[in-house]
Amino acid sequence: MKILITGMGVVSAAGLSVVETLDGFAAGRRNISRTTPEISPLDYPVFAVAGPFCRPDPSRSRTLQLLFHALDEALSSARLPSDLTGLRVGVCLGTTVASQLNDMEFYAAYRKTGMAPLEPVETFLKGNLAEAVARRVGAEGPCVTIVNACSSSADAIGVGLGWIRNGMCDLVIAGGGDELSRIPICGFGSLSVFSREPCRPYDRDRQGLNLGEGAGVLILEAETTARRRGSAASLFIAGYGAACDAHHLTAPRPDGAGLETAIRESLAQAGIPAPEIAFVNAHGTATRDNDKVEGTVLARVFGGDIKVLSTKGYTGHTLGAAGALEAAFTALALRDGWIPASAGYETRDEEIPVGVVRERTPVSGRFALSTSLAFGGNNAALVIGRPE
Amino acid sequence: MNIAGMGLVTARGRGIPALEKALEQGWVPPLEVEVKGTPSGRLPVYAVAPETLIDKTVLVKARRADRFTRMAVLAASDALADSGLGDTLDKSRLGVIVATALGPHATTFSFLDGILDFGDAAVSPTAFSHSVHNAAASYIAMTLEARGPTLTVTHFHFAFHQAILLAQTWLADGRCDAVLVGSVDELGAVLQHVCGRMLAAAADGRIKPFAFSSAPESVPGEGSAFFLMTRAVTGSGYATILHGGAAPAGGTLQILDACGFAKDETGYGTTVRPGVPVTGYAPVFGSLLSGTAFHVAAGALMLKQQKRYAAPVQDNPHGLPLGDPNDLTPLDHVLCTRMDWGGRVQELWLARIPVGRA
Repeated sequence: MKILITGMGVVSAAGLSVVETLDGFAAGRRNISRTTPEISPLDYPVFAVAGPFCRPDPSRSRTLQLLFHALDEALSSARLPSDLTGLRVGVCLGTTVASQLNDMEFYAAYRKTGMAPLEPVETFLKGNLAEAVARRVGAEGPCVTIVNACSSSADAIGVGLGWIRNGMCDLVIAGGGDELSRIPICGFGSLSVFSREPCRPYDRDRQGLNLGEGAGVLILEAETTARRRGSAASLFIAGYGAACDAHHLTAPRPDGAGLETAIRESLAQAGIPAPEIAFVNAHGTATRDNDKVEGTVLARVFGGDIKVLSTKGYTGHTLGAAGALEAAFTALALRDGWIPASAGYETRDEEIPVGVVRERTPVSGRFALSTSLAFGGNNAALVIGRPE
Repeated sequence: MNIAGMGLVTARGRGIPALEKALEQGWVPPLEVEVKGTPSGRLPVYAVAPETLIDKTVLVKARRADRFTRMAVLAASDALADSGLGDTLDKSRLGVIVATALGPHATTFSFLDGILDFGDAAVSPTAFSHSVHNAAASYIAMTLEARGPTLTVTHFHFAFHQAILLAQTWLADGRCDAVLVGSVDELGAVLQHVCGRMLAAAADGRIKPFAFSSAPESVPGEGSAFFLMTRAVTGSGYATILHGGAAPAGGTLQILDACGFAKDETGYGTTVRPGVPVTGYAPVFGSLLSGTAFHVAAGALMLKQQKRYAAPVQDNPHGLPLGDPNDLTPLDHVLCTRMDWGGRVQELWLARIPVGRA
């Protein structure tokens, strides 16, 4: 059963829509800024989403605002109404920050007086991403939020794929979102994984990651269902693989065995050999460990000539949104036949035996891979395809 | 999909013997903790005792982990051990799915303590990495060397139901040979405060699952319940989880997961199957958003033992037929029913493993 991507919506520092993002990629634009006092007193480069998302809304988290924005674009591009009542719709979305009750004012008040305002709790309890989206569109099928750290939304797409293939629903809203927040800025800072300059994924002189924010939503549909309602969509999710390192809470397994398993499983599910992959949109966070382990595995599976890029040089690391955004970027690149320069990459790291693209590059294959690695040792791989 | 092994950590102890004992014993008074902002300044709770979470063998790789993770690792490890399959399973094909409503919130607040006390630049990296929702799943994978897919899922009402659906797809797709699926939620001090202010506490310490009240009362609880799920029936198996929701024939018991956490439980009245005896063990486990996992454990145990445990609190204003421990007729099916705050209902059907197959 072929599972089509019938709609896509993206929002990140790279752009507020698919069109805007592709324009930014083509121009090599990196919309990097600095943390503001409203987000964190620590000064780091970040990839913040500009525009209408600057207004705080006490009734709705910023993550949810970003997600609804991407959802609206995805539904519109799929030619679906905003109310999906009556259809067999599942919702599977990933996040990290939005899953936690981590409101600083609430907690500071609790610590100080033993009493805390309950409004942040009410907002939190309305803010489970999948539940909120299901309510918004009237979805009545399976509904769950994946909290698998940085692979959350890649896994969400994989879960959605499984739901449709097992007949649990006809259409899945899959993806994820995350916002810039004081908590992960403190946390990643404590782990000393931030770069003080714009990140340089896969570069020999990379110093670490920059955080970003955003949301990505894919509408997945069984081909038969999509065609029945007149959709002409042709991109599809061909395979999904996932495996755990079972090694360390925060560090990738040095031999990359878990990632390799996930990639090979995704290829097997797609029914294609490794040489069919035209390019890899890598997780590429720009940390020393991630890029070395990931690049080594990619070379082992695909050979050193495989075209590799990381789009985190345009978006920053958007945590729970990253997998979905990068799956969407991968699909768009397959559709349009080009991948952007891997922003920030200049000098080859001799310890990483793959070819990272320095400029906009034509691609002609039918399949591409998007990889995600995460805290907890999670590894996820998505094979995305286009018709011949 | 079959339940090949179970592991539980609750306020009543750890393991299947503790579950049996708790179901046999029925209701016991909850602890009372001081909570500011509540009418009485106190809150009844069912909390896991600290000594329950001591195990220097199982927790050796999780020795730095928090309570949330410890509960999950112990329950998951026990489920695998209980199945008797630990030595024969290919660990690269063992999946892990952790369901939680609220995640390791106590560690999140501990991390916020670090920010408030020491500033943004001097927080603990350990507290941060353990505050991430999937830390427990990671520790389970490391402890049991499970290298299949590992997912943590969240939903405020039906996280465990969704995890079960997911495990079914993983087994159906051939992605795994077995899946450890379970739920975990903890009751930290801040959550006690929130529960005390947002929910009505049971003044007499008794959750009343059959009251169907418009203002239900709760006794917040915590714990973890895990299940080793396999495609095929195994020798030590408990029950089969059925696909779909059609009511099977035969001796059925309906477990109502009415625990007082819904704002209005009157809707449970419409979920009761005519003529089917009902029961509910929330008074044993406490009120939990992920409480269905504990009820599935109780139901699976009853199907395996062919035994009905009495409802621990029998207040029954609607005159429902209650499950009778003296009923010795075959117990073929258990239906676990849970309703969310909006009145939506999810059901899980368990079936007895046919004699001769176990």
